[in-house]
Amino acid sequence: MSNVKETAVELRGISKYFSGTVANDKIDLEVKRGEVLALLGENGAGKTTLMRILYGMYRADEGEILIDGKPVTINSPYDAMNLGIGMIHQHFTLVPVHTVVENVMLGLDGPYDPGAVAEEIRTLGRRYGLEVDPYATVRLLPVGMQQRVEILKALIRKACILIMDEPTAVLTPQETDRLFDFVREFRSGGNSVVFITHKLNEVMNIADRITVLRAGRTVGSIPKVEASESALARMMVGRDLELTTGQPAKNVGEVVLDVDNIGVISSRGHRVIDGLSFQIRQGEILGIAGVSGNGQEELAEVLCGLRNAEEGDIRVSGKSIVNCAPLAIIAEGVGYIPSDRQSEGLVLDMTVAENLMLKGSSDPEFTKGRFLDMAAIEENASRQVHEFDIKTPSVSTRTKALSGGNQQKVVVAREIAIASKLLVAVQPTRGLDLGATDYVHRVLLRERDKGKAVLLISTELSEIMNLSDRIGVIYRGSLLRVFTRENADIGEIGLLMTGIRGESNE
Amino acid sequence: MNKRSDQSIWLALTPLYSVILGLAASGLMMLLLKHNPIEAFAQLFGYAFRDIYNVADIFAKATPLILTGLAFGFAFRASLFNIGAQGQFYMGSIGAVVVALKLGFLPPVLLLPLCLIASVVMGAAWGAIVGMCKSRFNANEFLISMMSNYVAVAIMNFLVRVPLKEAKGEYPQTDVISEAAWIQSLIPGTRFHWGFILALAAALLAYVILWRTSLGFKIRAVGMNRSAARYAGIDEKKIFVIVFAISAGFAGLAGFMEVNGIQHMVVQGFNPTLGPEGIGIAILGNAHPLGIVLSGLLFGALKVGGNLLTQTTTIPSSIIGIMEGFVMLFVVLSYFVQNKVILAQRKRRLAKGEDVA
Repeated sequence: MSNVKETAVELRGISKYFSGTVANDKIDLEVKRGEVLALLGENGAGKTTLMRILYGMYRADEGEILIDGKPVTINSPYDAMNLGIGMIHQHFTLVPVHTVVENVMLGLDGPYDPGAVAEEIRTLGRRYGLEVDPYATVRLLPVGMQQRVEILKALIRKACILIMDEPTAVLTPQETDRLFDFVREFRSGGNSVVFITHKLNEVMNIADRITVLRAGRTVGSIPKVEASESALARMMVGRDLELTTGQPAKNVGEVVLDVDNIGVISSRGHRVIDGLSFQIRQGEILGIAGVSGNGQEELAEVLCGLRNAEEGDIRVSGKSIVNCAPLAIIAEGVGYIPSDRQSEGLVLDMTVAENLMLKGSSDPEFTKGRFLDMAAIEENASRQVHEFDIKTPSVSTRTKALSGGNQQKVVVAREIAIASKLLVAVQPTRGLDLGATDYVHRVLLRERDKGKAVLLISTELSEIMNLSDRIGVIYRGSLLRVFTRENADIGEIGLLMTGIRGESNE
Repeated sequence: MNKRSDQSIWLALTPLYSVILGLAASGLMMLLLKHNPIEAFAQLFGYAFRDIYNVADIFAKATPLILTGLAFGFAFRASLFNIGAQGQFYMGSIGAVVVALKLGFLPPVLLLPLCLIASVVMGAAWGAIVGMCKSRFNANEFLISMMSNYVAVAIMNFLVRVPLKEAKGEYPQTDVISEAAWIQSLIPGTRFHWGFILALAAALLAYVILWRTSLGFKIRAVGMNRSAARYAGIDEKKIFVIVFAISAGFAGLAGFMEVNGIQHMVVQGFNPTLGPEGIGIAILGNAHPLGIVLSGLLFGALKVGGNLLTQTTTIPSSIIGIMEGFVMLFVVLSYFVQNKVILAQRKRRLAKGEDVA
């Protein structure tokens, strides 16, 4: 590698407007040959939008793109691929029922011989440590393997500029290490990588240079050697921020939630939860760690009455709630913060006041006979907006006009009002910026200290480690082990997440 | 702030532009037919508002249209498509005419309410079947409700040809119902009857249910986000059935209006376009009860004026259908344009660095 590297990609003054927001505001960005550029920023900072412009999925409202110093027009991913740009999306773009070869061939120009493509897949796989069986059906491959297929798709198209959008979000710590090995190997061949992330430790691990975006603008671009995690965090958020770490629970009381050996079979006939048991007591947080897709979603749905369990029992303060209707479970004092606030937690076209009473439309608190008690609904909303500091022009503003953090506050406010005994939170900070994340964490800890039982299901290991009093690891629908806070070891938890049982005993 | 509310007033008037554009487009059609459109429209509205009889007729024509409009609009608030208003209207007509024929000896004070109830119950029951297919078998309510029209037509054809056929046995129609079952005129000598007031009451009822009751809240929640409604413990399957029953009840009530208010009998295949026109009226009225009343009146005026126009000139009568069609077309287009305009405005403000909340 020479010291003065050539510029591979240059973005000049890129702006993109979506309805209601500036996604990118005159962003400049430069990627050199043989360099890993980390594009760092909070969720919603405009990272993905910017890269989708480079990949031809969106068209910029302003600005220009230069490849190897020459201005280019990129109207579609096809154009981007012809310029040597490949992108690994956060949500894979594979055809699940097709084989690896068929997926790789999809969209290639000209007639190709599947055998030759399979051979190429093997060759590239060996060279970069991305071995995968070319004739395996994608649907049956683990997530980490599917990601390899995505990468191979780009490599076979001779990509020399690879954009990776939060590639580690779905990976275990071990799979992440292997991905990083590939990135280093790929870079050493004079190729460039743009690595989109909001995780600081990854940036420090893999990047050569870091460009930080905040609210659609470039905050700065610095070489890794000059960067520190705290400096980067400051650039991302625009202020100093200490993440809340919970103090251990003090007053642990009676058992509130008792999940007793439940089994769930999916609509496809797979056993998605298998002999799962745990208890949560008053005043403690049980965190459930695991790679997504190991039964977390199904567990949450069983707990809130949207899915039936074939076996076992669930008791809240001694009363069985298994296979009860959602309303009956709500009445037992179980609050539920779903992982997807926009599709499961809120009706975005309704007002803030309506969303704050969404689960109370049959509750005497908000009704007078068959009619809604408009005064009570409004009064409740004003109180909650004030108490949870929800930033909204008024309680009759449509919820879709609020920012992500404030939308989540609406969900949290409503569910905490319901959760007199138990609060179930699934990925409660997904897609939130650091400030809002910290707020949600604080609220969870506060509710725990008030004596509620909290179940926290999250794929963000750091979130689990920071907040939980006990940590369970879920793998293929079973809890492999439950750690207490003191003996929780992140390395061991990481291994358990992949299904490898640790040697050590408690 | 002031500027923005000015803009929203302009945007709120889009249905009006659509009406004007729709009329203009049908004016072009008249040009092709070598008629002077300006003269024709002057005549059309001249006729519609010429005398008390014609003005009263606008309300009479609007009455069933408002109800089939509500039938579509109410279900639309739950994101359900009720394309079956025509069949529900026919079932309501059958209910009303059977009660009027069999119980014709009763005094009006008993007979009229019984006819009304029969029409609503028949319509609602017919619609509830669609809702049940949706909730039990996850059937597509659009297709099921559309098909239910054909079944309803077949049932009506059978009834007016065999069991309910007129005493003379000449035409496929029922006997004239006893005068005790006629809805009284509001203005003697015209066809403006009490039914219009009932249609307004129905629109008010639809509004109250949707925006003031717990049921309506659930209906709208299911309509705007089915998944969130499920998490909130709202039983969507129950809502499907209730919504279809209520919305079909409105269409059934239109049967009472037409049988007891205008026709005083059931004739095979009468008023064959009430259902489809209700869809257009609901869309023109943005599925809001007040909007539906206003657009129902507009369509009523087009019908009255158009009928007279085609009777007194050589303009073919299909021009009324063309006018209605163009208006609906432009209304549907207007929602698309409206969204584009709003987005463009926001982009411009954002580019200038203004805050858009």
